[in-house]
Amino acid sequence: MPTFYVDDQPIEFQPGETVLQAVYRHKEIRIPHYCFHPGLKVTAQCRQCLVEIVDMGNGKGIPKLQTSCSTPAADKMKVATANEKVKEGQRLVNEFLLVNHPLDCPICDQAGECDLQDTAFAFGSGHSEMEYEKRVYGWRQVGTFLMLERNRCIHCSRCERFSRDVEGGHDFGMFLRSHELTFDTYEDHQITHKFQGNLADICPVGAITNRDWRFKKRAWKFKKTPTVCTSCSTGCNVTLEQHENRVYRLKPRENPEVNRWWMCDEGRVGFDALNDRTARLLEPHARVRGELRAARWEAAYGAIAARVKALGVTGEQVLALADTHATNEQLFLLTVLLKAAFGGGAAYFPLRRDGPQEQPTHAPPDPFLYSLIMKDKTPNSAGAKALGLLGDEDDKRLKAALAQAPKLLLVLGAPWGDSPAILGAAKQAQLIVQIAAFPGAWRAVSDVLLPGHTHAEQHGTYTNKAGRVQRIRPGLRPPQESRDPLRILQELLAALGKPQELGSAEQVFNALGAQPGAFQGLNWQAVGDLGAVLPGARA
Amino acid sequence: MSQEKLLLLKNIRSPGYAGTLEAYRKAGGYTALKKVLDGMKPGDVVEAVKASGLRGRGGAGFPTGMKWSFMAKNTGKPSYLICNGDESEPGTFKDHLLFMKDPHQFLEGMMIGCYAVDCRHGYIYIRGESMYAIRRLQAAIDEAYKAKLLGKNILGKGFDLELTIHPGAGAYICGEETALLDSLEGKRGQPRFKPPFPAVAGYDGCPTSVNNVETLSNLPFIVNEGAKAYAALGTPNNSGTHLVSLSGHVNKPGVYEVEMGVPLRTVIQEYGGGVRSGKKLKAVIPGGVSANVLRAEEVDVPYDFDSLAKAGTMMGSSAVMVFDENTDMVEVAYRTIKFFNHESCGQCTPCREGTNWLKSMIGDFVDGAGSEQVLKRVERVAGNLLGTTLCAFGDATGGPMRAFVQKFPEEFRKRYA
Repeated sequence: MPTFYVDDQPIEFQPGETVLQAVYRHKEIRIPHYCFHPGLKVTAQCRQCLVEIVDMGNGKGIPKLQTSCSTPAADKMKVATANEKVKEGQRLVNEFLLVNHPLDCPICDQAGECDLQDTAFAFGSGHSEMEYEKRVYGWRQVGTFLMLERNRCIHCSRCERFSRDVEGGHDFGMFLRSHELTFDTYEDHQITHKFQGNLADICPVGAITNRDWRFKKRAWKFKKTPTVCTSCSTGCNVTLEQHENRVYRLKPRENPEVNRWWMCDEGRVGFDALNDRTARLLEPHARVRGELRAARWEAAYGAIAARVKALGVTGEQVLALADTHATNEQLFLLTVLLKAAFGGGAAYFPLRRDGPQEQPTHAPPDPFLYSLIMKDKTPNSAGAKALGLLGDEDDKRLKAALAQAPKLLLVLGAPWGDSPAILGAAKQAQLIVQIAAFPGAWRAVSDVLLPGHTHAEQHGTYTNKAGRVQRIRPGLRPPQESRDPLRILQELLAALGKPQELGSAEQVFNALGAQPGAFQGLNWQAVGDLGAVLPGARA
Repeated sequence: MSQEKLLLLKNIRSPGYAGTLEAYRKAGGYTALKKVLDGMKPGDVVEAVKASGLRGRGGAGFPTGMKWSFMAKNTGKPSYLICNGDESEPGTFKDHLLFMKDPHQFLEGMMIGCYAVDCRHGYIYIRGESMYAIRRLQAAIDEAYKAKLLGKNILGKGFDLELTIHPGAGAYICGEETALLDSLEGKRGQPRFKPPFPAVAGYDGCPTSVNNVETLSNLPFIVNEGAKAYAALGTPNNSGTHLVSLSGHVNKPGVYEVEMGVPLRTVIQEYGGGVRSGKKLKAVIPGGVSANVLRAEEVDVPYDFDSLAKAGTMMGSSAVMVFDENTDMVEVAYRTIKFFNHESCGQCTPCREGTNWLKSMIGDFVDGAGSEQVLKRVERVAGNLLGTTLCAFGDATGGPMRAFVQKFPEEFRKRYA
């Protein structure tokens, strides 16, 4: 592979790449930039990424500083990013950028994660020689939840390029010229597409911000957890950002194989339930003479074991129903439990037909973005299928199975909670045990309720529509009495007299990977940060 | 008065020349095109132009033959020759003259150029305000089509060429070749970053050469009289004649055809008849407002690309603006920066923010305010525009503004003293 040198550090590059595109993969080298974004076309207009090309690879240097975003990398090229000349060049571009910037960091949501702020701290003098009135515009709402504050705009044109080249709707345009140049929507046009949040993400300053958390929290307060979006079968890689155990936002995390740099707004705003404590099941409950009463864990387990024994439940009399948000590990453990404790039993999962949900109203230059929102709002359908769970679009098989009046119903999460038909049929079961964070409508019919963790409070993996197994991580502290569903399932096994110590999600997953089946050959480490494709799903 | 060396203006200067196809033919027109189509390969034309030493007359002075030889070959895409007739540099009005008075000489040059770079459809970009020039040139193009000098199988030699005029919408920046290309493609006219250069990916992503009107108008002479005859004119490395747009405080402003290397003072004194009303010379801008101003004592410099570059300024588009002793250089500086501020496309940072900041600061002096500190700041900010922008606009603004302050500091100081 051809190589060039940045301050003597060798950097490999693909022919055709520019210096900054190659350097961008090395997070330890920081060349300040605004207009450059790996997912957008290069325009070289902010001029912040100036570097010195000491040697073009042919022994000759370039006397003028060059923008690293637009300079093609060449074999044996030598690039200086930190000498005095470069520092001075970057410093004066930064000064020009601040000439009309309002420096309203104290009330700006971007403060703390603002590229301009960072660069100004690195290069700025803390004192301005600009003695004239600055440009002033008003702020206004330009989309469902986007605020546009043009005073802060540094004219990097990322919003315009995203609208033109990625989403394709041309929502943002360039207006006027010179110092009056402005990026704005056309004639107060409101952006309505479902990828608006990306505009706030790519804005390097606080010109486009997300109204959802406007003025609510300072960006540096957030604790960030890399995880996966659970709002549909795509499984966009995201960062869950919380403060004091309250989620404020989800932001896309780069994964070239899944979502690149983007995510949709349905996923972005779909975290409200995680902050909900009113509908949350906080401690175990058991139904005593028709009434739900709080119980200790041991008592609940004891009662379940006693009832199961009294009923004499066998395989075909057990039905397990799993939630859309159950992880691969939970589903696996559920099947293990059915087999070990009852010698069998069917497990159902709400499998749904899938396909892109949104059809753009215009021909997008790149269909990728619109392939992100899927109709199947289940993050783990592929995992459930791979683990052999049953299910169909119209739930015909499940309804038939429920009509057989199973004795025991094991409910993981709150699946089919919106279906009175299923709930009504389920009521016929002698014993309904539910493991859930949010029992929902099942609360009325379940006999034992065991409080579980949400997907944001536990380790685990989901399998996305393309068969990619991706890790979720706990970003929030669960309520005290609730337990990890994996632990609950193992404790149930023990209570039913068939103890199996599999342990943590990692251990469960590795056990799954060691078994013949769709997951064979995978292990926790191989899944890593960016996921790994199911061996069977590999093309 | 010195005699003009007439190459480009030969027809225009002959009394009664109507500029029609008939008149141009009578004056020996379109013989060069015939010669080229008769026996020269495109490569021969490029070599001839290289040998002539012809340098671009649009401002940068890049050798034309070399520009053509950089064009990507065998790309499977069409090649384009685009004539830059935007002529937006303040002080320049020579191309307008060529369009108006001798359009066929230009068209012949354009056709030869298109043949040389293997272009089958050339575009002529003219600023929209020049309505008369557009009409005049269109009439000439129509004449040429009728006479089978354009279209299919020109002169029966199997060469096809279409020419289209594209009127610009009046932005200075669209005289910058890549902004011109964007504008031609129907986009907002903004310079592109280079590389890739237009010779590799220009109009519509195809190999493109953008040449000035005057540059192309020289081609019939070079073909007819030979590269040597052209190279014999002017000084080494600055061959030929060039059209000087002389304006300002001279007795006889106008377009003059001057051999390269004639001293700038001679241009002003002999061609322009000296400073008007017998006043003393104060300053000269030798190459359009993008060129650094010269003080009166600095004008004894040969007027060609290299000598002016050595003198710390540039010949640009050969637009000489003369200022007499009564001129207020602060006002000149302010008018200049007002222009640049208005015409900056705004896409890149130093130019967008810097031109307006400079305008505010120089405006201070115009208003009788300002200070030594602000004067220093003007110099510093103008210097920061140099070499940091995407196109040459930053250099074209920063250089002259710094020169005004450095060469006439006393005039600025007078304002606040």
